Amino acid sequence: MLVLDQVSKHYGAVKAVDGVSLTVPEGQTLALVGESGCGKTTLAKLILMLEKPTTGRILFDGQDLAQMSRSQLKGYRRQVQAVFQDPYASLNPRLRVASIVAEPILAHERPDRASLKKRVEELLDHVGLPASAASLFPHEFSGGQRQRIAIARALALRPRLMVLDEPVSALDVSIRAQVLNLLADIQQEFSLTYLVIAHDLALVEHFSTQTAVAYLGRIVEHGATEDVFGAPSHPYTRALLEAVPQPDPDHVLPDAALLGEIASALDPPSGCHFHPRCPVAVPICPRERPAEVNAPGAGHTAACHLLAAARPLEHAASSP
Amino acid sequence: MTDVVQAPIPMPRMAWLARLKGAPVIPLVILGTVVFCAVAGGLVAPFDPNDADLDAAFQPPFWAKEGSWSHPLGTDNLGRDILSRIIAGCRVSVIVSLYAIAFSGAIGALVGMISGYFGGRVDQVIMRLVEIQMSIPSIALALLLAAALQPGLGTVVVVIVFTYWTWYARIIRGEVLSLKTRDYVAFARVAGVSTPVILLRHLLPNIMNTLLVLATLQVGQVIIFEASLSFLGLGIQQPDVSWGLMLSDARQYISNAWWAITMPGIAIMLTCLAANLFGDWLRDRLDPRLRQM
Amino acid sequence: MTALAPVLAIEGLKTYIHLKRGVVRAVDGVDLTVGAGETLGLVGESGSGKSMTGLSILRLLPKGAGKIVAGSIRLDGEELTTLPEKVLARDVRGRRVAMIAQDPMTSLNPVFSIGDQVSGPFRYHGGLPRQEARAAAIDVLQRVRIPSPEKRLGDYPHQFSGGQRQRIVTAMAIGRGPRLLIADEPTTALDVTIQAQMIALLRRLQQESGAGIILITHDLGVAASLCNRIAVMYAGRIVETGPVREVFRNPAHPYTRALLAAIPKLGSRGRRLVAIPGQPPSLIDPPAGCRFAARCPLKVSACDAYPQTTAVGPNHSVACWRAGEAV
Ligand SMILES: Nc1ncnc2c1ncn2[C@@H]1O[C@H](COP(=O)(O)OP(=O)(O)OP(=O)(O)O)[C@@H](O)[C@H]1O
Ligand SMILES: Nc1ncnc2c1ncn2[C@@H]1O[C@H](COP(=O)(O)OP(=O)(O)O)[C@@H](O)[C@H]1O
Ligand code: SF4
Ligand code: SF4
Ligand SMILES: [Mg+2]
Ligand SMILES: [Mg+2]
Repeated sequence: MLVLDQVSKHYGAVKAVDGVSLTVPEGQTLALVGESGCGKTTLAKLILMLEKPTTGRILFDGQDLAQMSRSQLKGYRRQVQAVFQDPYASLNPRLRVASIVAEPILAHERPDRASLKKRVEELLDHVGLPASAASLFPHEFSGGQRQRIAIARALALRPRLMVLDEPVSALDVSIRAQVLNLLADIQQEFSLTYLVIAHDLALVEHFSTQTAVAYLGRIVEHGATEDVFGAPSHPYTRALLEAVPQPDPDHVLPDAALLGEIASALDPPSGCHFHPRCPVAVPICPRERPAEVNAPGAGHTAACHLLAAARPLEHAASSP
Repeated sequence: MTDVVQAPIPMPRMAWLARLKGAPVIPLVILGTVVFCAVAGGLVAPFDPNDADLDAAFQPPFWAKEGSWSHPLGTDNLGRDILSRIIAGCRVSVIVSLYAIAFSGAIGALVGMISGYFGGRVDQVIMRLVEIQMSIPSIALALLLAAALQPGLGTVVVVIVFTYWTWYARIIRGEVLSLKTRDYVAFARVAGVSTPVILLRHLLPNIMNTLLVLATLQVGQVIIFEASLSFLGLGIQQPDVSWGLMLSDARQYISNAWWAITMPGIAIMLTCLAANLFGDWLRDRLDPRLRQM
Repeated sequence: MTALAPVLAIEGLKTYIHLKRGVVRAVDGVDLTVGAGETLGLVGESGSGKSMTGLSILRLLPKGAGKIVAGSIRLDGEELTTLPEKVLARDVRGRRVAMIAQDPMTSLNPVFSIGDQVSGPFRYHGGLPRQEARAAAIDVLQRVRIPSPEKRLGDYPHQFSGGQRQRIVTAMAIGRGPRLLIADEPTTALDVTIQAQMIALLRRLQQESGAGIILITHDLGVAASLCNRIAVMYAGRIVETGPVREVFRNPAHPYTRALLAAIPKLGSRGRRLVAIPGQPPSLIDPPAGCRFAARCPLKVSACDAYPQTTAVGPNHSVACWRAGEAV
């Protein structure tokens, strides 16, 4: 449904997104994981057309976003919605819940008052809020409830794709499961496709069907979630998975899990960005950017010279 | 289908008047009196402000030796009652303040919002204009404009608007620069909400507090500005009454009638002080970040 | 726990914050002990009073508003709640009890070099001459694995990464050999790989120094990988404490169980999370009985009275009328 083709976004010298190609298939949940500053939010902004890519194309149903006509863009806006991380920043404090949820509808249609009211109430009901919530202001709700309001607003236009940028990380631990379950339910009910951005690997494994791992603006591994978590192929993905502390006292974290610091996006290492921290780096690593190659599993790719050496001829098919 | 969620607990909404709780009382009383006099001055003033009575010229205020209660604040060179003239002057102060603030605020806010929201080339051009405007001394501009137009209330308003819109524009632009990065603005764009609607629904209400504070803080400056222009003869003309004009008239007799110049001076000072104190309170209450301005 | 006298013993601690809106009962009857060389994990969701408990020990409460209203805090047997502020500031804070806060940026002063900030306490409080203080600073920075610290003493906080800053804060905290280290969400602001380094560091420091550590966290994974003992806090009270293995393997309080079921774990793909309904109560007007009652699947009428703490195993106690019962 959504295809990114060699997309880059540079802010001055910072290559926030650096040549990313990804496909988000209809009905799936693609998770984008990676550490802070690796370009996850920037990618979301590009897809939401809040920023323009420096180079590369973003295609929706085969249509290049940059070439869309006004009315096509309007159609795109209806079909792609978002939920952001901070439920305190994402609701206008001066509007009542009813106006917040109705806003996307009013941007595209002119419904009469009664039917608008009914739709708002239905939306609130879908996200588990009482109809009485409509007349209140955001500050009268808890973080979890605000996130439900944000979800109701995103649902208002019955979109096909939803971009979820860290949808639960600002919420209390005991509230997260409520919101995750709600998101899973509405995905079923409205046949939504999700692009979810997260840094919590356990959550990603739980929630997504496909996973893409990002490091300093590039995708280093991408595939079905079972494959990426079951048979991680890129040294960075392996290190990331090993570093996750488990709520299990018998799970032992490897002692010096990953040495070294995350490099700055301002001055990324040459060749493979990961080479200064990579335990298995080889001489070519600082020199050349590794290409994406097939990893074990269908549609599972990784960008690492070691894999390329093992499977030199099986280059990943370029995105459809 | 979803997990149970507790109904939110509604919080009592503050009545509008209750928000004035804690406001400084004396400034409020002074400002209230000025507004009242502007509206209903004719009813409370003991004399017609333009009634000359040469027999009663140069009477001192009541507490002085030759003063009397019939002219509590004394009379001027034409024997006009100073109290009545001060009361009548409230009208000009209030009218000028209202128009000047409304126009400079509206223009400044609009330009500031456009500049901040669109950014880029638009912003650069507008901000250059603002800088040029700010580097012209406002009194020179006033002289020029007053010469080009006719002196009078309208000119005073135009000059003040010309001088002050940049002040609003700069502050509002800064505010909008930070507001437009809020997630709810991003959401509105994602949902395809049109730009004018975003400006009106998401930005304007959030800069209202700032505008209100700026407006209150401007009152004092407007009153002084009007007085200065009228004092220079570029502002209000007879038979309208303004505090600045009273100062100007009384200037020649300062040695034999100190009160004629002191009384309107005190009126100006008290009103400005009250407006500033109230503005400070409002700012601390609504928008403490503006303290740096 | 060991039979030795604990480093820290808190009993019946109540810390209230007086606000215009009302009195926030941030800590409302907390009992805790921390032994030498032991790491106690204080876990719970945000607003449950974890940080306030930690800050009460150092009496670093919100100025004017926060007050310890009841209870005792004993450090090596010495009562801290009655200690004059001056003595507390001189002998306890930073010396016998040190703290690592969540955001390393707020603990470091951006205008002083790292060398000045790390060696300062050695010079001004420890009375070491300049050169020796410098050597001590290098030594302690080495212990927290800052590479070539002698070259970096002149650098300022912004020249270090987030993980390094947190390690520098840790160096400052352990520098003077505290008896008790309070680490308030020390890894929350860090990325996973950097967090793993910090966890390894804290584990090593604990073995080397023998200090007691209170690790405040909402992340059960971090707690499980670092702690010997766990205390679960909910709405200002401790609802369950026990050895880490016991609490994670045989949680007995319905809240602990619900929390463990509600978080996704690696390797648990596809299973639906068991969400906890509702939200925590307000601490301004908490319910009289069990604070978890509104969300508890086991609630009975007895729960209208506050549950007594009962032992469910060795060193494992729970405040619940139906501790250990199945749903
Ligand atoms: N408007 C901007 N101007 C300049 N640099 C930017 C801008 N937005 C992002 N960046 C830089 O681009 C890089 C990627 O940022 P981005 O916000 O996409 O990261 P992220 O993966 O979402 O991180 P986090 O997990 O912290 O949210 C960072 O180095 C960031 O500093
Ligand atoms: N400075 C403060 N002023 C007012 N209330 C506070 C302050 N700090 C904490 N509180 C309140 O005290 C309670 C406990 O807070 P805290 O100990 O910080 O929780 P935790 O660390 O578990 O997230 C919360 O209800 C919080 O709102
Ligand atoms: S390309 Fe080289 S440095 Fe990069 S991950 Fe593979 S082995 Fe490591
Ligand atoms: S005391 Fe009652 S309400 Fe509280 S946790 Fe136990 S069973 Fe649930
Ligand atoms: Mg982000
Ligand atoms: Mg805290």
